[in-house]
Amino acid sequence: MVKFAHRLSGVIAFTVVAALSFSGCTKKVDDKDTTLTVPLVVNLKGLDPIQADDLYSNMVVRNVFEGLYEYHYLKRPFTLQPALAESMPEVTDNGLTVTIKLKKGIKFQDNACFPDGKGREVVADDFVYSFRRLADPKSISNGFWIFDGKIKGLNAWIDAVKTGKADYKTPIEGLQAPDKHTLVIKLVQPYYQLNYVLAMGFASVVPREAIEKYGAEFINNPVGTGPYMLEKASDWIRNSKITLKKNPNWRGQTYPSEGEPSDQAAGLLADAGKALPFADTLVFTEMIEDQPRWQNFMKGNLDFAVIPNDNYDSAIKDNKVLPELTAKGLSLDNSTAVEITYIGFNLKDPLLGKNKDLRRALSLAIDPESYIKTFDNGRGIPAQSPLPPGLEGYDPDFKNPWVQFNVAKAKEMLAKAGFPDGKGLPEFTLESLSSAKDRQIDQYFASLWSAIGVKIKSSSNTWPQFQEKIKRNEAQIFPFAWGADYPDPQNFLQLFYSKNFSPGPNDTRFSNPEFDKLYEKSLTLPSGTERTELYKKMRDIVVEENPWIFLRTRKEYRFFHAWVGNFKWNHIENAMFKYIKVDPKKRAELKGKL
Amino acid sequence: MIPILLGVTLLTFVLFNMLMKDPASRFAGRHATVEQLATIRAELGLDRSLPEQYFLFLKQIVTLEFGRSWSTKQKISTMIDDGFSATLCVTVPPFIAAIFVSIALAMATAYRRGSWFDKSMVVACLAFLSVSSLVYILALQWGLAYKLGWFPISGWDPSWTGRWSYLILPWIILFVLSLGVDILLYRSVILDESYQDYVRTARAKGLSGVQVYSRHILKNALIPIITNVVIEMPFLITGSVLVENFFSIPGLGGLLVKALNESDLPVIKAMTVIISIAYMVFNLVADLLYSAADPRVRLG
Repeated sequence: MVKFAHRLSGVIAFTVVAALSFSGCTKKVDDKDTTLTVPLVVNLKGLDPIQADDLYSNMVVRNVFEGLYEYHYLKRPFTLQPALAESMPEVTDNGLTVTIKLKKGIKFQDNACFPDGKGREVVADDFVYSFRRLADPKSISNGFWIFDGKIKGLNAWIDAVKTGKADYKTPIEGLQAPDKHTLVIKLVQPYYQLNYVLAMGFASVVPREAIEKYGAEFINNPVGTGPYMLEKASDWIRNSKITLKKNPNWRGQTYPSEGEPSDQAAGLLADAGKALPFADTLVFTEMIEDQPRWQNFMKGNLDFAVIPNDNYDSAIKDNKVLPELTAKGLSLDNSTAVEITYIGFNLKDPLLGKNKDLRRALSLAIDPESYIKTFDNGRGIPAQSPLPPGLEGYDPDFKNPWVQFNVAKAKEMLAKAGFPDGKGLPEFTLESLSSAKDRQIDQYFASLWSAIGVKIKSSSNTWPQFQEKIKRNEAQIFPFAWGADYPDPQNFLQLFYSKNFSPGPNDTRFSNPEFDKLYEKSLTLPSGTERTELYKKMRDIVVEENPWIFLRTRKEYRFFHAWVGNFKWNHIENAMFKYIKVDPKKRAELKGKL
Repeated sequence: MIPILLGVTLLTFVLFNMLMKDPASRFAGRHATVEQLATIRAELGLDRSLPEQYFLFLKQIVTLEFGRSWSTKQKISTMIDDGFSATLCVTVPPFIAAIFVSIALAMATAYRRGSWFDKSMVVACLAFLSVSSLVYILALQWGLAYKLGWFPISGWDPSWTGRWSYLILPWIILFVLSLGVDILLYRSVILDESYQDYVRTARAKGLSGVQVYSRHILKNALIPIITNVVIEMPFLITGSVLVENFFSIPGLGGLLVKALNESDLPVIKAMTVIISIAYMVFNLVADLLYSAADPRVRLG
């Protein structure tokens, strides 16, 4: 028996050694390969732009599909520029008619859906078709809000489609293509955010032929006009990685020659005027877990990565990159997200809804600074109002009187609310998610609130359950966040408009007639001082009424390797990979040393 | 089998509907309106009565056409096909290796009971058991893949020739993970048998220790071993979620957990049916193996 065990252990040892020597062979780094390898922290769902409703799907999809407008790569504040449109739109008829001229000669990528397999020219009718498809109830896209109630005849067309009285041939007054290169959009009322929504992935152009050929399988057979394309179906290994190749039919574009004042010094204008895209191939690898993702980055298998919380201290000290990382050629891109994270109160709740002082007391007991320190390694800015940094109307000096960690004042406010030391208050329920970090955050909030005598029990949910509770107004207190769809404060202020009650975006059911009046007026105004003043007045009302406890705006720290050039993260459009350059020789030289 | 399957499907359906009152709300996004929610309910068939929805579920089982995922809009049959091959490649080799190695080591430790070898094996097995699987994954991935560079840190190649390099480290981890429990269990089963009268008779006949263990004790210890192996078998399909996630292997384990987290009912339904059928098939296999291992067990 012992002999047998010895023999067996010999076989195992041989297998392991053989396996190790087999797998230990490392591939030589190709010094001509310009592939950019991008990490995805969630699995990619599909490649249909009207279904790409999460950040990571958008990150991939927007390299294949384009719309009329796009964001300038370097300029801040965020600035739009024409993509498939020839110029910015012409607005007439008191803001009710928007005429957009299309660039001529734009072609879809080659695909079997076209009669000869060659991509045909994009015409204005393709946009009419694509916008109808977004609105079609059968598409079940949650991107339709960008046009909902805005375009003349579109909502009536949806109703008619539902009852079988209309189809894609039925004309829509507000969506017209008078000639091949002109798109006319007629609006119900002026829509000053239209240019922004036309730059969103949901408004990308798709060819009718591809939808007719592939049907629901269009998600696996994308056909767009973008700088990259899915060359063959096998280039997407679902839940693992997707490889996109340069689209030979792409319209072409050059690297920008203008940007922020700091861009010149950062070397971000060195490639001005050079042809895009720089990388021949884009590879998106799906790595859900932080540690293997970070290890892959440190070995040079990924070209950039966000630093995980757990690795922060091994890379950054006193907000500076540690010398051992800079010695490896790693650089840091530090950018502030366009978002607000908050704790929402359900104002339908008889206690929380009617007692402003109680909400203020709960707000004063929370310490955003320590929250950022504890859960974000200090990477964040305490939020003071619904207007995040980087947007019109944001004032860095504005201080919200209810955003300060002041236990004495919180207790005072609680007494004023009629509950001295929390006496007489029922236990509140904090709805949250079920991850370990969310449970830690729940405990953190509970401990801060218990210091003023308020008891909280937390309820863990899956993400869909959490969303459902909020949409059905069943959540009493809930931590949540809002990331900008586009860089206009209206996108944040709509969260307090009473006609947007949940299931819409106003998930606290905040209602204030004065706010509504100002909001409605702001919708009729173009960008400018008058509108900015209205935004500030609305901000003040929200701060005064406290439907949210304002928490923070996150900062994101991305490291990139020495061989990566032109790296500047854009928080509104995260698929700017056509601008990023990889120096293959440098990579070949440095990767082996990592 | 059919009543069990019906019971499982009914339970899945009832539980899901208790947990999610309005699944349409998960699709509508942050900008939803009441009208859009109603449209989504109609498009997904959620506006139909619950018995009608359950009947449609049964129809899907009969036709084996589970439709598309609510979350990814991918065809569920494709999702399962893709995940199946990856999961089996990850789980089957270490599973089979662990069975043979743990039986061999259990027999060796039982044979040398009380010796330093036995004691150190028991201590090692207890140590294996006591440490969380996450620690093995993190430590071995960091040490063997990241630091020493012996294996790729993570990734997947669907080609048969390319996938092996990505599999070896997950195999080692899964193999090591199952050894601790199995060796201790099999050792105690074998030790129980070694005190039986027939063992003494065999020894009295003059058989060597190895002969007694391999011809008599092992044969009689096989029933509890088979039971344990069968209990572990569903893991072959559900995979190891942690291993799949940490090594970026696109298997079924990750698929099921993601579907549960996202309340993706069509995928949950399909996976529940597959796992239930697998359980039933594995139980049948166990019965067949019992009768092969012990002639006293009769089928029928």
